[in-house]
Amino acid sequence: MSLNFQQVFNRIREIGLGAPALQQARETLRKQARSLLEEWADKPAQLRDKLERARQADPSLRCAIPLDGERLDASFPQAASLKLVTLLAADGSQILPDRHAALQYSLVNVGAIAMQSGSGQAPEVFTDSHLLYGEELYTETGLVSGEAIEQRRDIAERRKLLELAPDYPAPLLALTDGPVELWGAKGAGEDDYRKNLEIHKSILSQLQARGVTVAGYVDKPGADLVVRTLEIARLSTDEEFKGIRSLHSLRGVTDRWLYRFLPGGHRSAVFGLQSGSRLHYTGDLALHFFYLNVGDTRHPWLVRVEIPKWVADDKEKLDLLHAALLEQCRIMGARPYPYILHRAHEIAVVKFDEKAQVEQMLELELRQAGSEMDTESYKQSAKNLKGRSGH
Amino acid sequence: MNAIQIGHLLHSSTTQFVAGCSVKQLESPSLGALVRAPIETGYQVFGLITDIHIDEDGLVRQLVTAGNVPTDVRQDSREHRIVPVEMSVLAVGYEQDGKIFHMLPPRPPLSLNEIYLCSETELAKFTGAAAHPEPGRRDFGYFRHILQAQDIPVGEVLAAHILQVKQQTKNEQWVDQATRELITLLRDDYPTLMSVLGALGEVI
Repeated sequence: MSLNFQQVFNRIREIGLGAPALQQARETLRKQARSLLEEWADKPAQLRDKLERARQADPSLRCAIPLDGERLDASFPQAASLKLVTLLAADGSQILPDRHAALQYSLVNVGAIAMQSGSGQAPEVFTDSHLLYGEELYTETGLVSGEAIEQRRDIAERRKLLELAPDYPAPLLALTDGPVELWGAKGAGEDDYRKNLEIHKSILSQLQARGVTVAGYVDKPGADLVVRTLEIARLSTDEEFKGIRSLHSLRGVTDRWLYRFLPGGHRSAVFGLQSGSRLHYTGDLALHFFYLNVGDTRHPWLVRVEIPKWVADDKEKLDLLHAALLEQCRIMGARPYPYILHRAHEIAVVKFDEKAQVEQMLELELRQAGSEMDTESYKQSAKNLKGRSGH
Repeated sequence: MNAIQIGHLLHSSTTQFVAGCSVKQLESPSLGALVRAPIETGYQVFGLITDIHIDEDGLVRQLVTAGNVPTDVRQDSREHRIVPVEMSVLAVGYEQDGKIFHMLPPRPPLSLNEIYLCSETELAKFTGAAAHPEPGRRDFGYFRHILQAQDIPVGEVLAAHILQVKQQTKNEQWVDQATRELITLLRDDYPTLMSVLGALGEVI
């Protein structure tokens, strides 16, 4: 037994004792957030002024930008039943280089699926696997970072969608899991990030040119973008705006809670996304989002759907996306999540025994070629010893 | 006639083996069907399918909660997802250099060996239900493997097997003799005899 359960237990008791007070405080904040939402629902221009002041104080600010035409507390049902649509989805997984392992290599695996909704035909599935070895694993500063590999994976996913798009009939809808924007600037190195960002934007533009509806599906979203906007709505003095980075007056209230009022299948208003990357995604690529209740009215399940501006501005595309996501989520029954995204994940994931097989094949090839072989670190070797297991 | 391949061997012993196949291949095999696993030139193992099962799959479990599963999703599951369909096969004999033995095979089939459904000719040859029936007793030696097997639905497997022989060879005499043989073999085991006869009553 390596865990001091007595200490943990004491802490758990303390947490339990403090829970009622925390819940009460949260309820108070929720009431404030709800009334702020109602108060500012039809004042998008004034809110945007406040957001601009806050953004000047903190350019990396992440929050929702209210748009003209849709109230902050608006709710929109599915506009039309889904017609024949082609859904494309891609997901990726990766094996990162491990300096403790005997072999230094990396692998990016992308799984993609194309499904013609309502056709009754089996979807088509695709897998692209890229093995990185030798010089491919190094950058100017040393061994390639995990974030850089993850960026390659993200780019490979999007590239696959672009590659598949010409092969299928319109209307086309391309989905990825998670936000649309490219992440990981710091860890991946600024130069690599900028390079990948340009590729990403180029892919998005080409998808736009092909008339593809692009969306990123964020399940159980953690970023409370609208709540953050409401926190800013409360500010008035310059002093308060300057301190925006550390000011979280509604902490504990989530967007998922705030939009629980959406009836089953309804979406929220579309918002612009204020984030550090707003400068990069401009014009038709500017990022937007809406919340969607993919559950039912009694058991709401709020997800965030990120879209580029060209989708946000096109009502037909927006309605198509809304309907397609609901249909995909219904397939999964009691725990709604787009079936096609789950399948893309299933195709992409590299299982433990597949990883072992790749390593065995690579090792065999290198040995046959007379290449010098390294061994795993003694630390790793000790960790691999049988006797106990853990996380 | 082309041999119908129904799967590949997953694991085996001299008494039984398990074959796996994709859902697409599942139309051919059936409970009680005689199958063969060719191992080397002149040597193949015969067995009866005693169980066909599909392992639990988390996604499928979730999909059924939705009630209505769209056709494209069902096709996706059958054609692309790794749905493990496994067939348990009871070894009932082997063929060595053209001669049939109703004994346990000397060596089991090996991993990934192809498993074929027996053709009408192979079925008649193995069971002794030849195209030109001769009067007198036949050798039903392989019945003992079925009757001794644990944890299989003996009556159902026998009934399905006898029905298959009847339908494919049209040899009614063989069916009569097989039934008499079972009554003889099970004369001291009344509950099993009743169970087997009950199942046979459905098919003969």
